[in-house]
Amino acid sequence: MENEQTLTGEQSLELITSMIKQARNDYYDTGISALLWGSVIILCSMVTYLNHYLKWPALDYIWWLTVVAVIPQIIISIREGKHRGYRSYQSDLIAGVWLSFSIAIFLFSYLSSRYVIDHEAAIFLTFYGIPTFATGYGRRFRPMIVGGLACWVLAIVSLYVPYPNVLFLLAGGALLAWFIPGLLLRRCYLKAKRQHV
Amino acid sequence: MFKDLNPILHSQLRLAVVSLLITVKEAEFTYLREKTNATAGNLSVQINKLKEAGYIDVTKSFKDNYPQTICKITPQGVQAFEEYVKDLQAYLNIKK
Repeated sequence: MENEQTLTGEQSLELITSMIKQARNDYYDTGISALLWGSVIILCSMVTYLNHYLKWPALDYIWWLTVVAVIPQIIISIREGKHRGYRSYQSDLIAGVWLSFSIAIFLFSYLSSRYVIDHEAAIFLTFYGIPTFATGYGRRFRPMIVGGLACWVLAIVSLYVPYPNVLFLLAGGALLAWFIPGLLLRRCYLKAKRQHV
Repeated sequence: MFKDLNPILHSQLRLAVVSLLITVKEAEFTYLREKTNATAGNLSVQINKLKEAGYIDVTKSFKDNYPQTICKITPQGVQAFEEYVKDLQAYLNIKK
């Protein structure tokens, strides 16, 4: 593409449209990650179903495949990131959603397999962390990343705290995940508003 | 009243670069070169002009021992692009 070529109005508009279209065409996902996780979960579910009748002890560990599958997932993510050559506005947000979902599901699997959950606080705190961490990661807003992680730590702590004291942990989760980040966001918003008036 | 089109943006390669950067958060130099089919030298000169105008931010670093240049549109660049498109629309309407 040459630079100093004189552009007519129509050519300018055509160029803008074609560039935006080109960038948009790159947004398509390769689908490899979805195929990987789809295959792994289908396989684990079906093997567990069959093992209900077969009762082979070795097959009880089939769900560990989901942990093993994290390795190719990391490799795929790094490779795709390298070849992409750009970062879209959505990519960070989507990464945040999947990352928080992954952490929450592994945490939940761990907690439900290791502990008898006799109150819902651990489940609520695990859920609190998902949108908080995803939003913080997607918008590069550190207080919400910390808030999301804090909820997951509190979810583990809550297993050792009896009712009604566990309500302090729920309040602590809400304070760290939403109230403090909310105060910070409000301060930024009011500051920006004052500057634009 | 017809307003002159912004001369910084009214150039084929610079307009192509800004149009690409408006759709993504940030892009590598190699990506911009591939999409615009420009030579590395020419693209580098035009990126510098956009940077001097304050329309884009350029970050140079190293990735896997290779130099990496990342370009990102600035709020000033977004505003200039929006004004350019508005002026272009006015210009095309006058021509009709």
